[in-house]
Amino acid sequence: MANVALTNPRLNNAKSGRACVVRPGSLARIVMHDIQDSADIKQAPDADTALLQRYAQGDPAAARVLSMRLTPRVFGHAIRVLGDAAEAEDVTQEALLRLWRIAPDWRTGEAKITTWLYRVVANLCTDRLRKRVSVPLEDVSEPVDPATSVEDQLQNAARMDALQLALNTLPDRQRQAVVLRHIDGLANPEIAQILEVGVEAVESLTARGKRALTSALAGQKEALGYENEQVG
Amino acid sequence: MNKSGRDVDDLALESLFDAARADPPQVPEALMARVIADAQTFQPNIARTRWQGWQGWLRAIGGLPALGGLVTATCVGFWLGVAPPEGLPDLAGQVLGQQDSTALETATGLTGFGWDIEETNADG
Repeated sequence: MANVALTNPRLNNAKSGRACVVRPGSLARIVMHDIQDSADIKQAPDADTALLQRYAQGDPAAARVLSMRLTPRVFGHAIRVLGDAAEAEDVTQEALLRLWRIAPDWRTGEAKITTWLYRVVANLCTDRLRKRVSVPLEDVSEPVDPATSVEDQLQNAARMDALQLALNTLPDRQRQAVVLRHIDGLANPEIAQILEVGVEAVESLTARGKRALTSALAGQKEALGYENEQVG
Repeated sequence: MNKSGRDVDDLALESLFDAARADPPQVPEALMARVIADAQTFQPNIARTRWQGWQGWLRAIGGLPALGGLVTATCVGFWLGVAPPEGLPDLAGQVLGQQDSTALETATGLTGFGWDIEETNADG
């Protein structure tokens, strides 16, 4: 699939014009060669924990590898939940800053780093969402008119915009749960830890979120190109 | 909405999720640079901290010449303790008032409590 930027201007890079595409693990695998004796890291059940230990011991390569492993996940989650690139950048930098500060005191075995990090991001996002006043409808960017999307890339971009707009209509907790479950691909018990609720509550949040998304997207199937192609 | 309609909606939604997972948002280069800079700024440098501690102690005592003098003085003091030169007063004892002076009387006239001398004179 072609790798295209989101067409929604609010989701594009607000602070800089350039972007680097970082898929989970891709750059990290390249930079992993910087670390000598990295066999323990590759084979560790939680590679992030091993990297954080090396970071805390002063290994400069670990700082780069951890940044490249974790930043895309944090930024991807924040931008889906907040729907705003500038705010997502701030949240990403703040969340990782907290990780760097806590690194020397990190106790192995208590929690996965990604779980801890997602929890920090979720709380930061919640704080920002609560402080927001309601966004006027005219400020919400409309998706690109699918009638003009003759290329697959544009079609896909329009779909992502439509998904984001539909996500923006969900209540905060539902949106976080849906993004964690269906886009970040986390299991319900881990989402329960992140959102600090029970597993049943997570199941309820994601189910209600999916129903709300389906309703929000109803009527757009044809516009999004799902009527004329095989779904799945 | 009938069941088949809901199924189509669910499949369309799952397809959207698949597309979102396959096409994650792009991380701005500037953000990545800021994150890496933060990581390097807040990274503990244990090796440098240890070296700074050793250097700090050395600097506090006056540097390498002072360290050389300290080592020399320590060695000389140790040697004087092990093998003090003859005639060297016990300075510590004098200071503490614990030095005892014992004069050994080696005169032969006092042997045998002097009684043998008196008896010899009386007989002779």
